[in-house]
Amino acid sequence: MLLLQLIINGIQVGALYGLTAVGFSLIFGATKIFHFAHGASFAISAYVFYYLYAVLLVWWPISILAACIVVVVFGVALDRYVYGPIQSTDGSFFTIFVGSFGVAVVVQNLIGTVFGRGFISVPSALSKSVELAPGLYVAPTAAIAVVIAVACFVALQLFLGRTNIGIAMRALSESPALVRTFGLNPKAVSTCAFALGSLLVVPAAVLTSMTSGLNAAIGGRVMLISVAATIVGGVGSLRGAACAGLLLGIAENLALWRFDPQWSEAATFLILFAFIVLRPSGFFGRAVNS
Amino acid sequence: MIAYLINLATLVCINAILAITLNFIMGYAGIFSLAHAVFFGVGAYVAAFMALQWTDSLLFQLVAAMLLAGLLSAALALPALRVRGDYFVAASLGFQVLATTVFSEWKSVTGGIGGLVGIPPASIAGHAITDPVEFFGLAAVALALVVVLTTAIVRSSFGRSLKAIRDSESAALAFGKNVALIKTLSVFYSTAMCAVAGVLYADYLSFINVESFTIDASTLFMAMVIVGGIGTVWGPIVGAVLLTLLPAALTYLPFLPRTEIGSVQQMIYGLAMVLLMIFKPDGLMGAKQGEA
Repeated sequence: MLLLQLIINGIQVGALYGLTAVGFSLIFGATKIFHFAHGASFAISAYVFYYLYAVLLVWWPISILAACIVVVVFGVALDRYVYGPIQSTDGSFFTIFVGSFGVAVVVQNLIGTVFGRGFISVPSALSKSVELAPGLYVAPTAAIAVVIAVACFVALQLFLGRTNIGIAMRALSESPALVRTFGLNPKAVSTCAFALGSLLVVPAAVLTSMTSGLNAAIGGRVMLISVAATIVGGVGSLRGAACAGLLLGIAENLALWRFDPQWSEAATFLILFAFIVLRPSGFFGRAVNS
Repeated sequence: MIAYLINLATLVCINAILAITLNFIMGYAGIFSLAHAVFFGVGAYVAAFMALQWTDSLLFQLVAAMLLAGLLSAALALPALRVRGDYFVAASLGFQVLATTVFSEWKSVTGGIGGLVGIPPASIAGHAITDPVEFFGLAAVALALVVVLTTAIVRSSFGRSLKAIRDSESAALAFGKNVALIKTLSVFYSTAMCAVAGVLYADYLSFINVESFTIDASTLFMAMVIVGGIGTVWGPIVGAVLLTLLPAALTYLPFLPRTEIGSVQQMIYGLAMVLLMIFKPDGLMGAKQGEA
């Protein structure tokens, strides 16, 4: 029964990991920007939601809407004012990574200074567990997480497959020159990718604030998981990122079966390491060692 | 006041060794490691454990720390050979997270969160180094050796091969360079020298705990290299001096609460990294990068 419980917890966590990783993967795929500050986006939206909903007691839809607006503004502003200028002078991986990493460091410390470094969580009736079977506790958040993750993923696939801007986004990852020839502005498409990718962290941020809680350093953790899921799933494959996120969530929770909780992050690392050494192209991806 | 300055100078030397060794793999081999603090920690824990259990001989501690760190460096070299830069960063980040957990959980060796206290001073040929001025001398000599050795390697044919690999791996391969061997050796050298800094750190402070070897430390070392100027001889040293003196300087600002100094320091260098990348990606010493 413990095992089943851990698998259910793993699916809940994994669905949210998958969603966050898909956001990262979408940005990376379309713009080739290694958006290290994706974890910072997660932390910002989670803390905005926490502050409005749990401290100022704002009605929840408005709190979530505010979190969405703030995170989209953050992502688009980064693209415009940090990555844009860097790319116009020197677009190497290294400079973009350092700039993005610097942003992540600043955001983490700002949050730590403003909200404190301790753990906080948003009290909610949704995270109260119900005993479904003897010894098996499931909270409504588990079902919400899975439903939202699936819904977002299906919506995203439709968007990328059916709408013009979605198709442009996929085209951007193949050939920016072709996008320009077609009369579209690659900058505008890149802005859309950042807006959409950043928006995808909100469900995970809100649900995580209700279930396992937040601290100022959560951005780094989310970052590691998003990158790990992107690599394990295969770079450029959204489906891969989603599956790998789910896998990492389940593995992390299954590790609890035999090991203490502080080792659960080790599971993420071991899977990442195994994939990098044995299968660098991930589940569905192309080779990444060029 | 003199004691305070000597203390700062000793820490600057240790940090400069860390920055130089990190710059060696980042700037010349193109391996962006976010796990440098792991090897710093390995050096420090080896020295502390040996000093507490077996011997206070600095020589034995150095040899053991360098060997162990060098062996562990395989954990970095392996992914570095398999995937390109961006993915390697993630692997090193994961390695850092895992190592932090090991440092804080392997209580019989590392003392857990509390760390190891009362590390006896190291000795050279039976002479215990207890005087801070003498220790500063030791750290300065170590720094000078690392600078000379690293510069010599960078200017040798090995260093030129390394730069060739950084600039174009396939071209270097086509020229018959053994890319895998060269990369592995450079990671080995960098981490072994990094462990030297760890040994000095543990013997100097006589107290270590996991706080000094976390991702925050790795970030700080990377910031030193980047702020100073990646791939230059003086850049990492300048970066180490600036970022080591920064928290000391911040304590003179009366309106800053003591508990926030760490965070303000991180915000400053985080911001410095962003602004440098936008306006001057070569770092402060980057103007002379022509010969690098």
